[in-house]
Order: sequence, then C-alpha cells, then structure tokens
Amino acid sequence: MNKLRNELQQAAAESETRRHFLHTCSTGLGAMALSSILGSCGFFSKESSKNNDVGAASLSSEPTAPHPSQYLPKAQRVIYIHMAGSPSQLELFDYKPELAKYNGKDCPQALLEGKKFAFIRGTPKMLGPQGKFAQYGQSGAWLSDYLPHLQGVVDEVSFLKAMYTDQFNHAPAQLLMHTGSARLGRPSLGSWVTYGLGTENDNLPGYIVLASGGKQPDAGKSVWGSGFLPTVYQGVQCRTDGDPVLYASNPNGMDRNIRKQTIDAISQINQQQYNDVKDPEILTRIAQYELAFRMQMSVPDAMDIKSEPQYILDSYGVDPAKGSFARNCLLARRLAERGVRFIQLFDWGWDTHGTSADGAIEIGLRNKCKESDQAVAALLKDLKQRGLLDDTLVVWGGEFGRTPMQENRDGQTLPFMGRDHHLEAFTVWMAGGGVKQGFSYGETDDIGYYGVKDKTHIHDLQATILHLLGFDHTKLTYQFQGRPFRLTDVAGKVIKPVLA
Amino acid sequence: MKTQWILVSLVGTGLAFTLSSFLGIFEKRVDYNTQVKPLLNKNCIACHGGVKKASGFSLLFKQEALAPAKSGKPAIIPGDADASEMIRRLTLTDPDERMPLDHPALKPDEIELLRNWIDQGAEWGDHWAYQPVQKPDVPQIGTFLSRLGITANDETDWAKNEIDHFVLAKLNENELKPSPEADRPTLIRRVSLDLTGLPPTEKEVADFVNDPSSNAFEKVVDRLLKSPAYGERWTGMWLDLARYADTKGYERDPGRKIWRYRDWLIKAFNADKPFDQFTVEQLAGDLLPNRNGDPANDDKFVATGFHRNTMTNDEGGTQDEEFRTAAVIDRVNTTWDVFQGTTFGCVQCHSHPYDPFTNEEYYKYLAFFNNTRDEDVTSDTPTLRFLKPADSTKLVTLQQFIRRSVANPRQAQATVEQVTHLIRTIEPKINSHDFDQYVNASLLDAKYFGFQDKGSCRIKNVTLTGRPRMLIRWGTKAENATVTVHQDRLDGPVLATIPTPKPGKDTVQMIPLPAIQGRHNLYLSLNSTKKPKEWVQIKWVAFAPVLPGQPQNATGDQDKLLTDLLNADAEQTPIMLDGSGDLFRETHVFERGNWLVKGKLVTPDVPKSLPNMADSLPKNRLGLARWMVSREQPLTARVAVNRFWEQLFGTGIVETVEDMGTQGIPPTHRELLDYLAAEFMDTDHWSVKKLLKKMVMSATYRQQSTASPELLAKDPYNKLLARGPRVRLSAEAVHDQALAVSGLLSHKLYGPSVMPVQPDGIWQSPYDGDTWKQSTGEDLHRRALYTYWKRTAPYPSMVTFDSPSREFCQLRRLRTNTPLQALVTLNDPVYIEAAQHLADYMRQHGSSPSQQIQAGFRRVMLRDLSPKKLAVLVNLYTTTEHYYQKQPGQAENLLDRPGLDCSTVSPQLAALTVTANTLLNLDEVITKE
Repeated sequence: MNKLRNELQQAAAESETRRHFLHTCSTGLGAMALSSILGSCGFFSKESSKNNDVGAASLSSEPTAPHPSQYLPKAQRVIYIHMAGSPSQLELFDYKPELAKYNGKDCPQALLEGKKFAFIRGTPKMLGPQGKFAQYGQSGAWLSDYLPHLQGVVDEVSFLKAMYTDQFNHAPAQLLMHTGSARLGRPSLGSWVTYGLGTENDNLPGYIVLASGGKQPDAGKSVWGSGFLPTVYQGVQCRTDGDPVLYASNPNGMDRNIRKQTIDAISQINQQQYNDVKDPEILTRIAQYELAFRMQMSVPDAMDIKSEPQYILDSYGVDPAKGSFARNCLLARRLAERGVRFIQLFDWGWDTHGTSADGAIEIGLRNKCKESDQAVAALLKDLKQRGLLDDTLVVWGGEFGRTPMQENRDGQTLPFMGRDHHLEAFTVWMAGGGVKQGFSYGETDDIGYYGVKDKTHIHDLQATILHLLGFDHTKLTYQFQGRPFRLTDVAGKVIKPVLA
Repeated sequence: MKTQWILVSLVGTGLAFTLSSFLGIFEKRVDYNTQVKPLLNKNCIACHGGVKKASGFSLLFKQEALAPAKSGKPAIIPGDADASEMIRRLTLTDPDERMPLDHPALKPDEIELLRNWIDQGAEWGDHWAYQPVQKPDVPQIGTFLSRLGITANDETDWAKNEIDHFVLAKLNENELKPSPEADRPTLIRRVSLDLTGLPPTEKEVADFVNDPSSNAFEKVVDRLLKSPAYGERWTGMWLDLARYADTKGYERDPGRKIWRYRDWLIKAFNADKPFDQFTVEQLAGDLLPNRNGDPANDDKFVATGFHRNTMTNDEGGTQDEEFRTAAVIDRVNTTWDVFQGTTFGCVQCHSHPYDPFTNEEYYKYLAFFNNTRDEDVTSDTPTLRFLKPADSTKLVTLQQFIRRSVANPRQAQATVEQVTHLIRTIEPKINSHDFDQYVNASLLDAKYFGFQDKGSCRIKNVTLTGRPRMLIRWGTKAENATVTVHQDRLDGPVLATIPTPKPGKDTVQMIPLPAIQGRHNLYLSLNSTKKPKEWVQIKWVAFAPVLPGQPQNATGDQDKLLTDLLNADAEQTPIMLDGSGDLFRETHVFERGNWLVKGKLVTPDVPKSLPNMADSLPKNRLGLARWMVSREQPLTARVAVNRFWEQLFGTGIVETVEDMGTQGIPPTHRELLDYLAAEFMDTDHWSVKKLLKKMVMSATYRQQSTASPELLAKDPYNKLLARGPRVRLSAEAVHDQALAVSGLLSHKLYGPSVMPVQPDGIWQSPYDGDTWKQSTGEDLHRRALYTYWKRTAPYPSMVTFDSPSREFCQLRRLRTNTPLQALVTLNDPVYIEAAQHLADYMRQHGSSPSQQIQAGFRRVMLRDLSPKKLAVLVNLYTTTEHYYQKQPGQAENLLDRPGLDCSTVSPQLAALTVTANTLLNLDEVITKE
C-alpha cells in the first residue's frame, strides 16, 4: 500500500503539466477543474499548487482513483456518526454536579441577556443532570448510566468537551458541521476527502451515507452534497429500504445474466463508435457502465449482512430484519473493510425539547441511547479486533449542545423534561485513526453553559479531521466563483493536543 | 587565449546590452492585459491586491500602485524601472527581501518584461471585457476571385457566414482545416436537440434529407425556432440561472408556488422577447410604467419572480432579517453572475482580489436591491394575487365606485391604481415581525407576532397623515378579547379598541382611526381575561386612506367590499416590489461582510470601472436594469452571447462562462465574441432567435464532429472549432428524448409542476407533511422542466445527470460521466417504461428482428445502424429471446405495465424490450453528435 502510494505521489508530481492534464482528462469536468488546479490563482503558494496537482490526478478520467494525501496520514478513512437533533452533553458526558443544585431555580438573567434561543422565551428554570455519572476505564472518563456500553471502550476515546458553534438551528448547524458553512451550497467534508484522496475500492462509491431514525437530517442531502465540487464526489446514500443505491436493481424480468449481456452489447457498440469518432469520453463511458455493473453486485453485497455470524449481530444488537442505527454501524464496519473512504451515519431523533415523550430527556433520550450505545461500542471493538481502528477515524457528535436550562417553549411549561438548542458548549468524541486514547480536552463552567478552557470550534474539528487524513486544511482548496474555497473557510486550527 | 575570449564576450555582452536599451524604444510595446496582468495575478496580487495590501502596496488599481507605499515611496516609478523598488525587490538575492516572498523568483524574462513595462511608462490597461463592445472587421477568406464567386476555393466554398470567417482565421493561424458538413440526419438531430431539446421525428428527417432546395437547412432552423418546444428548451437553461425551484429551501424546505415565472420564461423565449427587455422585466418589471394592477401588466410583475427564487427560511428561531439579507446578497451576486459574468461575491467582504471593484461599490450596488418588500416572511409576501372570477367582478365594481366618487379623472385613476395594487399585492404593509417592545408577547415560532392577556407591543414610525384606516390580518383562539391601539405611548391616547376576531381562520379587518397628522409610534395592548393563555397572532398591519365616498368614522359597504377582496382566497406568485415612505430601507456597508455590523451609509450606484449610469436613469432597480442593457455597457451582451454559444458548441468562447474577469480563461475567439455581441445589440436588437440562427447557420456549427487522431492530438478540446460539437445531452434532454422516441412524451405546455414516477423515500424533510403525489395522465410524461423541484431532495435522475440543486444560481453545469448515470438509464422505471413502448414500436415496424432493431435505432438516431453494430444487437436479441422462451414468466415480468395489451406478450417482445433498453443506453444516443 505504501509503495503504491509513493508511486502515485511520484507520478502525480511528475506528470501533470497543463497539456498532459488536458490530454488525459475528460471533457467538461476537467475543463472546469482546470481553473481550480492550474488557474495560477494568486492565493496559492507553490507548495499548494503542487498539492493541487495531486488534485489534478484525481480529476483525470478516473476522478476517484486513489491518490496520496499531502503528507503521511494517520487515518485512511472516516466513520462519522452524526446524532441529528443533537444529544444532550449534560446527560451523557459533561458531568456538572453544581447544576443539580440549581435544579428548578430561575435561570440568572446574566445567562439570558443578549442571547437568542430557538424556543426558550422569558425566564426558564435550570435543569440538573438527569444521568447518574461515574468514572470509567483507565482514563477515568466521566460517563452517565445512559451509555453503559461506551463505558467499556471509553479508553479508546478522545473527548472534546468544549466544542462550540455559531448556529442554533438544526439545518444551518448541520451544514456548518459538515460543509463548514451555515448556508447551502458548499461541499461536504466527505466530498472534500474523496476529492483529495479518491477511493480504494473501485467497485464501491468512495463516500457512502447511511441514515436511520426514520428521517433524513434536517439539512437534507446538502450535508453530503458535493456543492461546487464535481458531482462524482457527492455522498451516495445507501438506503435501508428498497435498492441500497438508487436504480441498482435490474427491472423485473431481467436477470443479472441478461444485464451482463446488455452491458456487453453497449460496450461493444460504444467501442465501435469510439473507433469511428475517437471521442475519449466514450472510453470513460464504457468504463463507467462496467463499474455500474460491478456496483450492482458489490453494493448489495456490502450491504447484505446475512453472512455476518450471529455473535457479531448480537454484539451490535442488530435485528437483521430491520433497518436500524445498529445495522448501519455494522454496515459501516463492512464498508470500512472494503476500503470506502468516508462513511457517514446519520441518526435522526436526538432533539430532546421535552414537548413529547419521544423528545423527553427521561424517555426519548434514554431510548435513543439504548438503541445506539451498544452498537457504537461494538463498532469500536469490532474495528479494533480487525486491526482497522488504527487507521479508521471514528467521530461521534451532534450539531450543537443542549441548554443547562429546561426548555419553556413560548413561555409555557412543557409536559416533559427537555433542553433547548445550545451553541456555547457541547461534546464531540473521536476514536482511532491517530487520536489519543482515553483523553479529554476542553472544559466547561460549573453548570456547563460556556466552555472555559481549551474551547474548540467546528472549524477546528474539521481542520483536525483533515489533518489526520494527511491534509493541511488551508491547502485543500477548489477554485469557484473567482476564489479558492476550502472546508474551513478562513478559520480552523488543528487541535494538536488530541493527536496521538 | 582564454582571457581574450572572456574579454570579447564581455564586450559583446556590453554591446548587446547597450544595443538593447537603445533599441528598447523600437521594441514592441508591452501589453498590460495580456502580458503584465497575468504575471501580477499569478505572483503578486495575493499579497498586494484587493484583499491584502502588504506594506501598503497594491497592484489592483493604477492609482494605488503608483501611490507611496508604507515606506513613503511609490514602488513603481513610471518610465524608470531602475528606480522602481518593485524591480529591485524582484532581483534581490536575500530571501527575506526578495519578492515574491517564500516563493521561487520570477524568471529573468518575466522580470525583463516588467522592467520594460515600467520603462515604457507602466501603463495600466483595462481588462478587455470591461471595455465597450466595438464591432471588429470581419476577416477576409479565400482569394479575391473566389470572393467574387469567379473561382472555386475551399474556404469560400465552406464558409456560410461571418462566424466562419473568424473561425477560419484562427484555424489558418494554427494550420488546421475545418471539417466537412455533417450528414443531414446527424445535423438535423443536432440542431433539433440544440434549439428545442427534443430529437426530430422521422418525417422531419425525411423531409430535410429529401429537400433539394438550397435553403433546406434554413427551413429546418426556422421551423424549430417557431416550435413551442423552443421556449421550453431555453427556459430549462434559464431555470438554473434563476435558481428556480418549487420549494423554499433550508431546513423545512416547504413548497412555493412560483411556476408562473417559469411559464413567463417559456412565453418570453417563444415570443423572442428582446434580451434587453427580457433582462429589464426580470430585474425590475414591477417598476416599469403602468403599474395599475391591470391584468394586462401582470406579466411584468410575474417576470420579477426571477429574484424571488431566493431561498427563505421558515425554521423556528431564525431571524427573518438575517435571511432577508442573505436573499438580497444572493440577488446581487446572481445578477452579476448571470448578466455580467463577473464574480462579485468576494467584494462582499473586501475589495475584489483581481478585478477592479471595491468593497464599498458592492454595497452601493446592493442598495439597488435592498429596498424590496420581501422580508423572509413565511407567506412569501409580497405576491401577485390572481383573483377568482367572482372576486375579479367585485374588484371591477369597487373600481367603478371609485371612479364615480372622484370627480377628477386623473385622481380617480390614481386611487383606482392604489386600491387595486393593495388588493392584488397586499402592499404596502408592515409585517408583524417588525413590532417591538414585547410584553407578554413572542414572535411565535419565530414567524409572526403573538401576545397573551395583558400583552403589548409597539409599531414604530407609522405615518398616519391621510391614512386613518388600519388594516390588520390576525387570528386567535381567545374569546371576548379586545385590542386597544394607543398613540405614542403604551398609556397614550386610545385610537381604537377592537374586539379580536372569532376563533378560526385568520381574517383581515379594517379599523377606522381618528384623523391624525404626522409620524407616530403606535402601541397595541391586549385584554383577554376569558382565555388569558391563548395567543392572539397578528400577521401584518397596514394604514390606508379612506376610500372615496365612504364614511370617515365607520366602515361602509365599499370598505366591506375591499376587506372581502383582501380576505379572498387567491392563487399567488411571489414578485418584487420596492418600499417607499416609512418602508424605505437604507443601505450600509457591512463591515467585513457581517450583516450585523453596519458601516457607512451608501446610496445606489454602479462600480466606477464600468460606464456611469446616465443621468436620465433613475437610481433604482429599473435604472440599473436599463444601464445593464445600454449600448456602452461592456458585459451584458458579451456574457449573453457567450452563454448561448456555450449551449450550442459545448464550450463558451470564454470557457469560464461564469467569469469574464481577469481570472477567467481568455477567449479563444475574442473578435468573434465582440462581433456577435455588437450584431446582437446593433443589428438584431437583442433578438435571441436571430443570434441563435446566426450560430447554427454557420458552417462552423454544421461540421461533422468526428475527429481525426491528428486533430484530436492538436486540439483535444476543440477550442479552435475545426470540428462540430460532440457532448453528452443535458439531464433534461436525456429524459425528454427517451420519452419522445418511445412516443410517451406529452407536449402540454405550462402549469403547476408535475410529479412523475420517483422511487419511494426520496422526500424525507423533517417537520413537513409534504409528500410526492405521483401525477396522473399525461402529467406523468411531461418534459423534464416541469418536474417538481424540491431543493433539499431534487428529482434523483436529474441530479445524477448534473442538474444543480438550484439552491443558488449555477452558471455552468459540469458534465460528469459516472456509473450512477448508467444505472438511471438502465434501470430507472421511467426508462424501462420508455424501452417497453419503444419495443412495441419496433414490433410493429418490421417482420424480422434485424428489421425491428433497425426501425428502433432509426427512431432514436434517425439513421441506419451500421452492419457491425446491428450484428451485436441481433446477437443480443437472439440470446435474450432464447432465454425468455425458456422463462415465459420472466418475459411477462419484464413487459408488465398498466395498459399492456396481453396478446402482445411474447418472448420476442421481451427480447425487443431488452434491445430497446440497450439502445437507450448507447453513447451516441445520450450524446449530441
């Protein structure tokens, strides 16, 4: 693998003159990418234009072929677990005994003045932690009884406990988390990563998205969209019902053998067409039809967990008959094994406002934890046992935090216990792929309202993920609308203390 | 010996130097645009440009570059390179001092070039695209005699119009020859797909192939330009630019009805509305004369939907002002992107890094757009309301009453217009999110104001002079509650006490107020003791004059008619309207692009590096739009011509259609672009049909697209146009062609968007009950541009074929070539249904498999299949037929569809269906050749 990487690096560095690039690359795509790659934009330093030459290799007729990162990476792939709606850090990770003392008391005005909340109006009451906390593992990490399984693997994990964001609504906050901008239209993290690194398995998409919880994340498909990057880099959502990839199934009455014959016929005729007109795009099309045919097999195969032994299913808590978050965790491992570069999981239903039982901390949140805790712990163990955790980065988190106050929607008392959206402080954890084991970074104040030490922003997290994959986040850029864009916009610092 | 040689060479070098400086004056002048600017952009401007001005030195504008830098001295002394710090710093060896810092030094010839440029006076040139369009001379081709038609000549024989002269001139420079004309079936397929987005019928092909007249092709072109499908095809292109969608975007992404704007486009293209007018109406149709609410002028309002396609955010907790501002910024950027081919977005935060636009100029330009009445309100207000016939009759009654009641006809007309405008647009009004000083009150779900018992709020700065009628739209579940209106203070004089409406639907009520002069704050307070916790929600308030002939202190029958009309259910489409009076909005610079940090106050104007706005033009959107299409404006016509060219030829004359600025790729045929732009404005009066006709009638367009290996090696991207275009069809054309050749396509024009077959589970927006309700009848098979477009979950097969999500304006679609596209045309039920119907056609058009396959191919590609390709398909047919004979159940499965004639089910038809499915996936089929 390393040898291959070196060769690629060498080839990429040597090859891509403008002419050569023009020659090898397919039509419009390459032409567009050209301005990004060779556009001699004044922003780029010489090193970065070299980096972008690496990008040029990626935009040749095989835009997703694997290619090297900017420097030796710790992580080869990412499993990003996003709990859409945002779990409460105060019930799960960020233990605040002081907050319990204020339970039921009016929130001090100082915490409300000049603040905007999604739903809290007037003066809400403080709400003490609802979980029972204790320390676990060698590292002595604090965890609550909401996450009994994570307790067993907590020494693999690095917590970021003073994360903060700029957005207090789901869709913009999710967009910020995944695209670096709260507005629609930017490429997602996974798109940047596949743009930068390509994929290791040419029978599968390089960027696969799995959603559970009954709904898509609030920001819709934009959180795995490719924005202004070419569409080959967008996440491919593998669905849990119906075809895992849209239109992967042959029509009724056409079996795989007939499909094979049609693809062969298409390729033969296209080859003749190529002989006549010499358009290189035709050769790409032949290759893509053949890949489509392989994907028709390889995607369902990767998504089919029948071959998994019972003890594995049990360890994740998977019911094979049902689509679920647990099944998606198991699928994430299968995809990681097959070299998929970026595996994005979304689980909907963590938005615990207290307006209904499902949205109540004492009921809904506990259920969501029950549905997911075992599978997440099993995933870490399973990856580790297969030697994959060393170069697979696992990230777990929501899009923002929850308030230390109990929500009082529109000034009214709600039937259940809930917390509103909170942008000042929340917890995200990472494991594997080059992060410290059993580590915690960042602290919040006594009631978990503000980060007070080692605060980290969304852009810092993104810079760190790219760093672990071997990229300088300031140099993985793409020219669009007259300027180079990057995931972290004009911000972001690598969180060095969590690096192993 | 050796010393001597060195001496000689030293002398020689010295001589050469002296000579070269003497000869310097005879040297060709250095051209700033083509030689200097690229060097500066590449090496200098990142640190010494619009964003960063390291050491106080910027090379963006001449006055900046020649001004003293931080050192106190200018870095460039025109006419004296030796004294110029810039040259000194380029040639130093100390890495801490030498420029470009931390980067390799410039090459000696590059430094020499800069040196010459400074010695020659350091002249700044304006970028070509910012200079007015001048019509260049058309290059001559052939020989004198051949031009007179006396002798034959390859060039004169080949060329059809002026375009070809420009193209030939470039080909000659590069020692290339043009290609011969494509065969007629290929040519008519190409031009039909290009002009109408649909393939021709077999009859149309036969008519053309058998037409011996010399203008046979022109007849085809004229027919296509007259076809209603023409408007649909070009609307498809424009929808990406207008970021048209049937939903509002952001989290909730609920539906929006703005399809009338789409239909306006179709009609505008079909009527060949001149492009200048087309531009003005979309940007400022609401400000054109005759805004009297007369339905005859509706189109001008509907056209302004162009800029109402911006996203709006209905999510709880979002601040409307933030998203209103985002929409205005999007309008500014989109206007530049679409009409000016210049990326203006960067100027939002700082001066343009490369092009001559300053930060402040961005906000002056934004001021043109910042005064519109849309405010990210959930209702999408302002809209144009289309009254039902009965309500229209009521409106006429009201209008007649007004005319009867006002003696002065001019005044009567003004009142009629004002009232009609109010009824048709519900403007001017104050949206309730602008109320403040809440007590027991809240912006419910961050959308509309609501208060509970003992609650109150303030309505700021209302001019009441001559407007003693308060209109209010509100609703509640409270009972027996009253709202009191106070003047100036919460406990100020009571202007009115109003019972809240009956629980149920929102209603508009008219409240007479005493006649008051001047501008006042009004306070509303609620008394609601019966159900104190129930919210009373207000959507908007408005203040209007008394209708003529109506009582001052009470409401009369015509007042009732007016409120009935304001309450009437009506279909609506979002439009642009400007605010005036109390509703006028000032514009400030946003410091570093942050809308919360307001800087200097600015008034509308266009950037200085472009021609000034004529004094006769109003400083509003209408003036701006008229300025954009004025003859001296350098960008609009060039950008339009380039875009249409790109649509036909696959690549623009300026490849970066989105950027004609200094960072864009330079034009391949600049004179041709200017020639076409000049003709477009001067001769053809902005007629798009004439422009397109000129392009497709050229020999350049008609060339065959086959490339010889030599040509491919020399010009792989066909920049020199020595062959015809060969590009994959657009998402729309792939779809429409499959429906057309299978006989399924509906030619129905216009109307609400439709929902064809789509897999389950594509739409999963949280919090909204919207579902994909599959259309019925012919709406299942409409052209792709009518497909319902949901921004967060666009129709999957379209996106797979590179349609954008339409969240923002997209100026150019990247053509990708992916396996997911193959899966669409292979397996999407839409394409399977097309294959089933095509197979049916094949069955009826031949008695042998090879005849049937030929018939199918001819139907799709309008030419015969070569024997080799036919053999492949016959082979496929034979093996699949064999399979279906053994598996008749599988044949039934494959053929199953509603309305299937069961007597036709056979292994042969199944095999034909497989063959048809294969046909629809051939490269040549999804490619324009």
